[in-house]
Amino acid sequence: MQTYDCEPTLTDQQIIEFCKYGYLMLEEVVPDEINKRVIAFCDAYPEGIPNGYLKEAWFVDQVLCNAPAAGAVRSLLGRDFGLPLSISNHRVHCPRTINGGWHRDYGSQQVPKVNYLQLFYYPQATPLEMGPTELLPGSHYLSMPSHFMRHLDAIADAHKTAAPAGSIFITVYSIWHRASTATAAGIRNLIKYTYWRTAAPTRDWVIDPAFRLENADFATGSPEPRRDWSRVCHDAARMYLWLRGELDNYEWIGGLAWPATATAAQAKGFCPGLPADLA
Amino acid sequence: MQEIKQQIEQCIEALGQGGLTEADLRAVLDALDETKPKRQNLLYLQTGGTSVGSGAHGCTMVVDGQITEPPDQDNWPYNSPIEAMRDGWRIVEFPNMALLMDESRTYGLGCEFILEKWE
Repeated sequence: MQTYDCEPTLTDQQIIEFCKYGYLMLEEVVPDEINKRVIAFCDAYPEGIPNGYLKEAWFVDQVLCNAPAAGAVRSLLGRDFGLPLSISNHRVHCPRTINGGWHRDYGSQQVPKVNYLQLFYYPQATPLEMGPTELLPGSHYLSMPSHFMRHLDAIADAHKTAAPAGSIFITVYSIWHRASTATAAGIRNLIKYTYWRTAAPTRDWVIDPAFRLENADFATGSPEPRRDWSRVCHDAARMYLWLRGELDNYEWIGGLAWPATATAAQAKGFCPGLPADLA
Repeated sequence: MQEIKQQIEQCIEALGQGGLTEADLRAVLDALDETKPKRQNLLYLQTGGTSVGSGAHGCTMVVDGQITEPPDQDNWPYNSPIEAMRDGWRIVEFPNMALLMDESRTYGLGCEFILEKWE
């Protein structure tokens, strides 16, 4: 497996945001001339698994090792992360109608471990009319085998990843997702690939000296209808601490203790629930 | 169906009066041919709680034999099971509590009501 290394780009709070929602969108990070080249390649090799890409130096340099995307991957997977072993293209002839279709990809496991990441790349503009992938933010914490999701359809707080050409989004592998209905005509390519961890998890990303763990925001901005609010914070904290290699130091005491809320007690220098080794 | 019953009542009355004709009976047969069998429509609502008044955060509909994607949430036909009940939907399955007993894990989209309507 070919590995790659670069400088990490994400801060602690950005890592926490990824833990909370399970995805990170990077818009227009691939140059337009590369997008056009990828589309031409897709037209020439329209198969679902066009692994010929992996032999193209320009594709490896500009897409797989794309600086903003690789910097985010480096932050989450650590140094010398493994490059994709295979590529798939979810190439769709639009329009098409989608009913249901929610799933987690094969082999999904429950977090908090993040030993691989899934990336999705749109070489062409993919507005709502072109059927972008729809994600359910935070669903990497929801247990359910894909074959039990087959009857699900519209979900209130799902997010459609409509984005300009050259956008890449990174997800926790187990996030719930599906194709969405496309009303426009044309071909939509969606290149999908996976990066691998080779280094043990540790806090090896951009360190903001002002970051304080007791003040970190683990809550989601809007109410999560499926889970207890404090558990939402707890799940995100577990994943974040696993990424730091420090999960063994954490025991959730529940209630309104850390990581659920910044209580008045914290202002007085007392943060119940915050592991002493991490304070 | 009510219309056919009325036609048969008229036939019985005509029979009693000795005026029943072949055409009367064929009219009943024609009406039966035109009667569309009722179909079961289904409405799945995933909600934040076990109460029928709980707000829905997921929705699937099967109408007239077709799975249909509901529009954006602002335009969902029902925002809770009780709204659907008021429109004639009948609950055929309540949230399965057996799946929710382990509070350390969240299963799927939580509470799910399944409702039906025959049309």
